[in-house]
Amino acid sequence: MIEVVLNDRLGKKVRVKCNDDDTIGDLKKLVAAQTGTRADKIRIQKWYTVYKDHITLKDYEIHDGMGLELYYN
Amino acid sequence: MANRTDPAATSIRGTNPQNLVEKIVRSKIYQNTYWKEQCFGLTAETLVDKAMELDHIGGTYGGNRKPTPFMCLVMKMLQIQPEKDIVVEFIKNDDYKYVRILGAFYLRLTGTDTDVYRYLEPLYNDYRKLRQKSPDGNFSLTHVDEVIDELLTRDYSCDIALPRIKKRWTLESLGALDPRKSVLEDDFEEEEEKEENEQDGLEDEPTHEKDYYRARSPARERERDRRHGSLRYRDRDYDKDRDYDRDRGRGRDRDRDRERDRDRDRDRDRYRPRDEKEYGRERERDREREGRERDRRDKDRSRRRSRSRSRDRKRHARGSTSPRRHEPEDGSTREETKKEKKEKREKKEKKDDGTDHPDPEIAEANRIRASLGLKPLKL
Repeated sequence: MIEVVLNDRLGKKVRVKCNDDDTIGDLKKLVAAQTGTRADKIRIQKWYTVYKDHITLKDYEIHDGMGLELYYN
Repeated sequence: MANRTDPAATSIRGTNPQNLVEKIVRSKIYQNTYWKEQCFGLTAETLVDKAMELDHIGGTYGGNRKPTPFMCLVMKMLQIQPEKDIVVEFIKNDDYKYVRILGAFYLRLTGTDTDVYRYLEPLYNDYRKLRQKSPDGNFSLTHVDEVIDELLTRDYSCDIALPRIKKRWTLESLGALDPRKSVLEDDFEEEEEKEENEQDGLEDEPTHEKDYYRARSPARERERDRRHGSLRYRDRDYDKDRDYDRDRGRGRDRDRDRERDRDRDRDRDRYRPRDEKEYGRERERDREREGRERDRRDKDRSRRRSRSRSRDRKRHARGSTSPRRHEPEDGSTREETKKEKKEKREKKEKKDDGTDHPDPEIAEANRIRASLGLKPLKL
């Protein structure tokens, strides 16, 4: 189990517990459950790389305690 | 200020019609090349040409959420607000399916409840294929009637939150809408007629009776139609509700559970007098049965929500004393066996669900994951 921090820098910062073999799509669903924003309106990125839904956290080398950027669309 | 709404446009649902599209999608549309190049200065007539060129529907796609041309044209219609006749013509035309969907979508966004049902439901009989662009940029196949069904029954389509409309059932009971007539109505009618004829032949009734059945005044016919039509429609509608309305389904389930509980209580009550009479014989069997029932009940309860132990125990104590108040001596032994069983069960559950983890945070996370259909957290 790992914990990642997602920050939208507009006042929402959530810590999410997840497995490292979860996909980004799963992570979005978990964030949606915590924040109340629809999962398909969430975009997760790091600098200019927009993370794709079907790729796992492990493959993006997301580790425990890492921070990700949370955007909406 | 090229993206102003037509100053003559009336406000829809108390606000600027363009606000029906969310802010982010709206700004994405304003930045889009198709919007800037093709949608500039369109009027209701020139918009038709653009709509005829459409070859797919969809909301936004790709990593940076580009809007589809379909979305741009919906936005344009919200901006220039064509008259209702024009929109109805869009929907009624038979040659261009994407024009039809565009009109239907616009009417769903802006029309009144009755209009939406009146004009969109006939499109349930349009089975033509449509290309749909999914958010990841791939195309998928859908059909006109599927899209219409989505518009009428869901609250979210093509990345746009649709305004709420009343359920068809509500409008029908208010009298604002007639019961829906299916295209299969005539087939059913024929079938029924055939059956009736067969029955008439079999029963060999007196002629005047038969005449009475046969001679149908239009009023009778209409009445019968309504009866059958509404019945049939209701059934189908409930089915659909069960599919779409998950919350309601869950509520109903819970009701059923409660009902079962009540039944069980009643059972127990009924057994009590007999227990006292022929006590020795029934005792063993009864206890077994009760133990099993309680097991089942406990399992249900713990599956629904893992409660604190102390509360559980209290409830058990009450549960075990209430059915037979006159013999408290064997309550303690049973209590123990029950506890053992419960612990065993907890161990089993820990393997598959993980919602009873000692750390409440992880248990909560696992509960959320279970509700989303994900595996529990690995530790």
